[in-house]
Amino acid sequence: MAVGDSRLERLFWGAGSALVVAYALIPVVWIVSLSLKRSADLGDNRFLPQVASLEHYAAVFDDPQFSAALWNSIGIAGISTFAAVVLGSFAAYAIVRLQFPGRRLILAAALSIAMFPPVSIIGPLFNMWRTLGLYDTWPGLIIPYMTFTLPLAIWTLSAFFREIPWDLDKAARVDGATPLQAFLRVIVPLAAPGVFTAAILVFMFAWNDFLFAISLTSTNDARTVPAAIAFFTGSSRFEQPTGSIAAASVVVTVPIIIVVLLFQRRIVAGLTSGAVKG
Amino acid sequence: MAEIELRGVSKRFPGITAVKRVDFTIHDGEFFILVGPSGCGKSTLLNMIVGLEDVSEGEIRVDGERVDDLDPKDRNMAMVFQSYAIYPHMTVRENMAFPLSLARMSKQEIERRVSQAAEILQLQEFLDRKPRALSGGQRQRVAMGRAIVREPNVFLLDEPLSNLDAKLRVQMRTEIARLQRQLGTTTVYVTHDQTEAMTLGDRIAVLRAGEMLQIGTPRELYERPGSLFVAGFIGSPAMNFLPARWSEERLELPIGSIALPEQLRARVADAEGPLIAGFRPDHLSVSSDGDSERLQFEVEADVVEWLGADLFVYFDVELEGFDNLALPEDLELEIGNRERQSLVARIDPAAGVQEGNRLKLYLAPDRVQVFEADSGANLLLDV
Repeated sequence: MAVGDSRLERLFWGAGSALVVAYALIPVVWIVSLSLKRSADLGDNRFLPQVASLEHYAAVFDDPQFSAALWNSIGIAGISTFAAVVLGSFAAYAIVRLQFPGRRLILAAALSIAMFPPVSIIGPLFNMWRTLGLYDTWPGLIIPYMTFTLPLAIWTLSAFFREIPWDLDKAARVDGATPLQAFLRVIVPLAAPGVFTAAILVFMFAWNDFLFAISLTSTNDARTVPAAIAFFTGSSRFEQPTGSIAAASVVVTVPIIIVVLLFQRRIVAGLTSGAVKG
Repeated sequence: MAEIELRGVSKRFPGITAVKRVDFTIHDGEFFILVGPSGCGKSTLLNMIVGLEDVSEGEIRVDGERVDDLDPKDRNMAMVFQSYAIYPHMTVRENMAFPLSLARMSKQEIERRVSQAAEILQLQEFLDRKPRALSGGQRQRVAMGRAIVREPNVFLLDEPLSNLDAKLRVQMRTEIARLQRQLGTTTVYVTHDQTEAMTLGDRIAVLRAGEMLQIGTPRELYERPGSLFVAGFIGSPAMNFLPARWSEERLELPIGSIALPEQLRARVADAEGPLIAGFRPDHLSVSSDGDSERLQFEVEADVVEWLGADLFVYFDVELEGFDNLALPEDLELEIGNRERQSLVARIDPAAGVQEGNRLKLYLAPDRVQVFEADSGANLLLDV
């Protein structure tokens, strides 16, 4: 009975997993397939290309608009991630370790910012940025990205910092570290899984954002890839830019996959085991 | 090398005073123990000495210099935490080198000191392991190692052995004692285990609810406790307590009456409120040893514990006609009720006592301490 049960159970789990993976991956495979079809075959109603060609990739990289957008995306998402993680870890550490009135209020306020619908502030932001000269600049996108991702970073990081025994901070201080040294050399390395989790979340938000990018940019100076793709045109006015859009989508997905795979290896559970008794 | 001086040190937390105007001096090279029940402020006191807690009032001096407003990193003290607090992301070597690299020592000097400490603590073969691959005792030694590599002025140990199993605790206890003697560094050691306190300490300070009750050598605290609380707290098994009264120039106990030395009679006679008599389990014996002064009484052995070298006999004493015993609650010694009080005697195992046996016990009158129940003061102490 027990053997049958476990076999059945494994079958269910296996089938379930396969279903979920297929459901998630079919659109991805479809986009990859589209990007590899020749322009003439785009409407051939086949799932896989008959002949794989890289012509759309070549076209995308020939377009100066795309390479500029790629550079903007990398720079803006990178800086937003770095700034949000650094500021978020300082804030989270202070919230977890310091006794000051209004700690809960800060956490609640941060969360409410994350819940705020971004579309509702686009209009005012557009006018403000134009007045302040931030329209169509990198900081003009970095600032809203940070604003919307900091709460997430603070929540994630404070959960991780809370897990780190307070004795470790104290031990570092007694061992001769300044508060900053104790934070950088003991706390941050131990919260590395949290730091990387927060970094991935922030990076994905900034990298995938379309709303802010389309509203707050107008030229190649700061337009990121998701916005730039919307401006793709076919090679002639009678041609749909489907192939180029698919190719560009594949190109922008690759960094996300790399980042996730890279950071995922660092998200090792049980890093703190062995710190205290146990 | 350092002498630590605390003058009128207090610590107030919102709504509670954790340490109340404490004054004492820890001598250079001394092994000084802070004991007390949990929540008595001993850890807070230690944290104030090392600088992890601010001092609300008073001052702390090391070798005459004020340190209480210095950052912990500028006090050159090393601390071993109850949880060990070794850094899990560093190897044993990196853990021990951490304070040295913060002090910007040269690579060779760090290497020299770490290997020296590893040798003293027998950690050589574990230097490249991470803490999670170590046993509890080894982690404890790493924490010790991280403290000794710095050659600090003062060692502070906060219940360092409480997470170890019984056998390892005894072993580490002797190791710590040996290490301290070898290095001669002033050491402050917080514990609630009074075996550790008695065996390790040059002097012991007993704290209760933030107040310093008594400071003295283990022997002084054991033989001449200044108060009911110290008497009950120091010693294992705890001191026996019985209600007592002064009548016709003798001290009457539920087990009989004893005469007191002449110079003490007046003090006992003048005492206010009910009296409590106390005597150690080892001051009871099964023979009079030819001493006719000894108080003799008969009891029935309730529980007998045979520990090889010792035999503990637990028995009940009827309290008929005496007041109920009112011992301090934080001693957690409530081992009787209105009618009877449970006592224990440590006797010679050769006596061959079995549970349920009746036996005669003898008590030397000069071993009996008399306390005022209300104030807790020891009346027989000539202070």
